[in-house]
Amino acid sequence: MGLLSIIRKIKRKEKEMRILMVGLDNSGKTTIVLKVNGEDTSIISPTLGFNIKTIAYQKYALNIWDVGGQKTIRSYWRNYFEQTDGLVWVVDSSDVRRLEDCRAELHNLLREERLSGASLLVFANKQDIQGALKPSEIAKVLNLEVMDKSRHWEIVGCSAYTGEGLLEGFDWLVQDIASRIYVLD
Amino acid sequence: MEEHTAATVSTNPKHQALIDRLSTRRSSTPATSSDSARQVADFLASFASTKLSIEQSLSECRSRADLDQIAASISSLEQLVAQNSYHLPSYELRSCLKSISDLRSAFDTASSGLLPRKKFSFRNKAAKKDEEPKNVDQSLEISIKPSENDKRSNLSVRDGPGFRNEKDETLVKDFRLCDIGQGDFTLSDLENCRVYLKGRVRALFFNRIRNCQVFTGPILGSVLIEDVTDSLFMLASHQIRIHQAKATDFYLRVRSRPIIEDSNGVRFAPYRLIYEGIEEELKESALGEETGNWANVDDFKWLRAIQSPNWGLIPEEEWLEIVDISEFKE
Ligand SMILES: Nc1nc2c(ncn2[C@@H]2O[C@H](COP(=O)(O)OP(=O)(O)OP(=O)(O)O)[C@@H](O)[C@H]2O)c(=O)[nH]1
Ligand SMILES: [Mg+2]
Repeated sequence: MGLLSIIRKIKRKEKEMRILMVGLDNSGKTTIVLKVNGEDTSIISPTLGFNIKTIAYQKYALNIWDVGGQKTIRSYWRNYFEQTDGLVWVVDSSDVRRLEDCRAELHNLLREERLSGASLLVFANKQDIQGALKPSEIAKVLNLEVMDKSRHWEIVGCSAYTGEGLLEGFDWLVQDIASRIYVLD
Repeated sequence: MEEHTAATVSTNPKHQALIDRLSTRRSSTPATSSDSARQVADFLASFASTKLSIEQSLSECRSRADLDQIAASISSLEQLVAQNSYHLPSYELRSCLKSISDLRSAFDTASSGLLPRKKFSFRNKAAKKDEEPKNVDQSLEISIKPSENDKRSNLSVRDGPGFRNEKDETLVKDFRLCDIGQGDFTLSDLENCRVYLKGRVRALFFNRIRNCQVFTGPILGSVLIEDVTDSLFMLASHQIRIHQAKATDFYLRVRSRPIIEDSNGVRFAPYRLIYEGIEEELKESALGEETGNWANVDDFKWLRAIQSPNWGLIPEEEWLEIVDISEFKE
């Protein structure tokens, strides 16, 4: 981390983390955020634009930006990159046909300089669906191991439907960010 | 700072135009009761696009001046909601006010992020010059490049259950007779087929469908439809996303707002399907009641207040009769 960004981080409001959730449309981003926040997930429309939620998580305030993934609005993702501490990439593990798209969009994103310091959590969502690909399979298809040296990343299987795996994923992310950002405490 | 001001001037008139349109609509429309439903719908549609436009500016804003403009836009929007409150139904009024308060907190977040950064404004300048994503450095670029061989072998992972590559067929699947109900089902590369899916399933995918008629029971999660032409779909689902559809009719029951993208000539009507046991299945899937959402279509290629030219409603006199598929068995 460069000196400037260290200065920036400590100047920031205490214990705040900015999390950007992206991924193809229909992967379950909005459902995940609402589920983690204990809200009703039974009526969710595809996201036009974005939603922001501030969630108290452990001793941190997570500022979660949930950005719509429909093709038309993917080009706006870059407007949300600034100051992102954690990136959550959500995958519909049952949508085998679009995995190629999914991988291309992810690697595109990871080339972005403004995201170079962000920890990456990949949620292999919809594990409740019979026949969904396992996290290890998704990791292989998305070719995640090539980032081993360049970035902190983790893949976690989850279901926004049952809630399984969500906390495990956010726990990893928050710990990983905290260990980078708040070492100066 | 100067270049940011220039950017501001170009974003703000956009809000202003939207806001102006909202207010002229209000003053030019006499509030007769027959008009009022349409008036509310129009107001909400333009409210949504103004909100989206403000959100976009928020995410792009780089300077104090940008923020001030945005704050002003939010306030005008709020004022308009207040002025329209006499004819807005209470639920809509509440949700508009909620949106305003969300905008305000997004604004707060954006401004708290921006303020400390002002000290380093040369960073912004650097970013301004080059809007395209930049490569971090050569080594990272190489390290994330996927290997071509890997990707092929991995992607042919497996095909889930479904109907694929069929022509001139009648295809029937009853999810009550198998354990696919907990899974997903795919229909792809079908031409000139009639498809009947009974029972419940978690997710449905459609891809490359030509001249087909498709009738389904309730879907618990979402339906993703891509590349369909000259077809008819009758679906009940929590979420419905339609991409690259042409000249196709959709008879829907849906809990949330259906969306279309890159589509044209698509038309909508309510779901009217029966087969043995469908009533209970719909009820158990929280799809027992008509929500009216079949007509609340969002076109991602047309985020404006006026009606999208890409879709319309099927006139009631053209609606299909109730379709009974009881006779079709696997
Ligand atoms: N079975 C199952 N369905 C899920 C799960 N998570 C989300 N869904 C369903 O997937 C559909 C898409 O979910 P959303 O949360 O709207 O997806 P999104 O990623 O926010 O989509 P965009 O806003 O368009 O980018 C909805 O119908 C959800 O009910 C899951 O874990 N299991
Ligand atoms: Mg969403």
